Amino acid sequence: MTCDRVKEHIADYLAGALSRTEAEELDEHFARCAACKQEAAALSETWEMLGLLEQEQPSAQLRPRFYQSLEAYRQGLESAAPTPARRRFFDWGAGGWAASPAFRVAWSAALLIVGIIAGIGAGQWLAGRERGRADLAGLQDEVHHMRQLVTLSLLEQQSASERLRGVDYSSRVDQSDTQVLSALLHAVNHDPNVNVRLAAVDALRKFAGSPSVKGTIDQSLSKQESPLVQLALIDFIVDSRDKTAVSSLAALERSPTADKNVKEKALWGLSQLQ
Amino acid sequence: MPETRADNVLMQKVRDGDLAKMAVLFERHHRALFRYFLRLSGNREFSEDLVQDVYFRMLKYRHSYRDGNPFTSWMYQVARNAHLDGVQKRKGEAPLFEQSMQEPASAAPDPSEILRRRQDLGLLRRALAALPVEKREVLVLSRFQNLKYQQIADILACDVGTVKVRVYRAIKALSQIFFELAGEKAS
Repeated sequence: MTCDRVKEHIADYLAGALSRTEAEELDEHFARCAACKQEAAALSETWEMLGLLEQEQPSAQLRPRFYQSLEAYRQGLESAAPTPARRRFFDWGAGGWAASPAFRVAWSAALLIVGIIAGIGAGQWLAGRERGRADLAGLQDEVHHMRQLVTLSLLEQQSASERLRGVDYSSRVDQSDTQVLSALLHAVNHDPNVNVRLAAVDALRKFAGSPSVKGTIDQSLSKQESPLVQLALIDFIVDSRDKTAVSSLAALERSPTADKNVKEKALWGLSQLQ
Repeated sequence: MPETRADNVLMQKVRDGDLAKMAVLFERHHRALFRYFLRLSGNREFSEDLVQDVYFRMLKYRHSYRDGNPFTSWMYQVARNAHLDGVQKRKGEAPLFEQSMQEPASAAPDPSEILRRRQDLGLLRRALAALPVEKREVLVLSRFQNLKYQQIADILACDVGTVKVRVYRAIKALSQIFFELAGEKAS
C-alpha cells in the first residue's frame, strides 16, 4: 500500500470501518512508514476527542413550539379542505354572505384576535411578559408561515377547485410575502383554468403596490388568450394606475386577432391612464 | 422493524395525509437535528429555529418524499437547505459562532488532568468553529450524527469515495488548527 492509498483509507480507519485485509495492509504500511503512522495517530486522537464534546440538549421550549406549529398546520389544512358541508356553505351563491369580502375580513380578523390572545396567554404562562412578547412574535410568524404553506400547497394541486381555494386562501397571507405573490403571478400566466386565472388576478389586487406586479402584469396581458382574463387584467392595470402597461394596452388595441370587447376595453384603459 | 425502515414508513404516512406521524419523527430526530445545526452554527437559538424550519419543510414538501428513499438522508438534505437559507438570511448580521462559542474562562494554571482535558476541548471547539463550513459539515455528519459514509454521500449528492477524501481533509485541517491553537496557548 502506498502513502496515497493510506490517505484514502484514513476515513474508514477512523470510523472503524476497514475490512480485515485493509486493516492488515494499513498496519504493514505503518510498520514501514513512520510519517503515515504519526499522521494517523494524530488524526485519530483528534477524532476521539471530538467524541468527548458534550451532547447539548435543545431547550424545553422546542417541543411545545413544534406541537403548536404542527397543530396550526393541521388546522390550516383542515380549514382549507373541502368538506361537503363547507362546500355547500361557501357555494351558497356567488354573492352569498359567506363568500363576501366583509365576511372574509371579519373571519380573518377573528382568527388573528384568537391567535394574538393565545399567543399572549402562552407567552405569559411560559416566561413572563418580556418572553411573552417574543413568543407572540414567534407565534405570529408561525401562523403566517402556516398560511403561506397552505396557500402554496393548494396552488400546486392538480384539481382546479383546490387551486381556486389556494387563491382564496392567499388573502390571509401578508402582502409582503414574495413566495405567495410569485405563485399568484405564475397562476395568472400559466394556470390552464380560466377561473383560477381570473381569481388570481383579483387576489393580486392586494399586492398591487409591489414593483414585481407592475413589471409583470402587462406581460401577462399579451400572454392571455381568454378575453375574460384580458378584461380583468385591464381593470387591474387601470385601478393600480400602472403606466408601464401603456404600450401593452396599445398593442392589444391594435391587434387584429384580439376580441372586439377587449380592444374597446384596452382603448378605454389607455384613455384612463393618459 | 429496524428504526430506519420505521422512519421511512412513518414519513410515507405523513405524505399520505397522516400528519400526526410527524410528531413521532420529531421525537426521534429533533435532538440529532439540533446538534447538527449547533455544531454547524454554534448558536442555540438559531439551531432551534432551524429544527422548527426542517419540520415545516418536511410537511410542506411531504409529497416529494418517495417510497424507498431513506428518510434520514432525505431529512438531512432538507436540513442542509434550511441551514443554507438560514445563513443567507443572516448575512450582514454578527457571526453566529462569535456569539456563543466562547473559550472556557478557566485560564488559571491547574495541574489536574480534568482541567487540561477541559481546556483541550475548549480549544477543539474553537478549532471546529474556525474550520470552513464545508469541512465542518462533513465532520459533523460523520462524527456526531453517526451517519455511514454512504448516507453522507446520498446527502451531499456525491460518491462515497469523495466523502472519505473530504473526511480525511477535514480531520487533518481540524488537527492542524487545534495544534496551532494549543501551541499559541503553550507559548
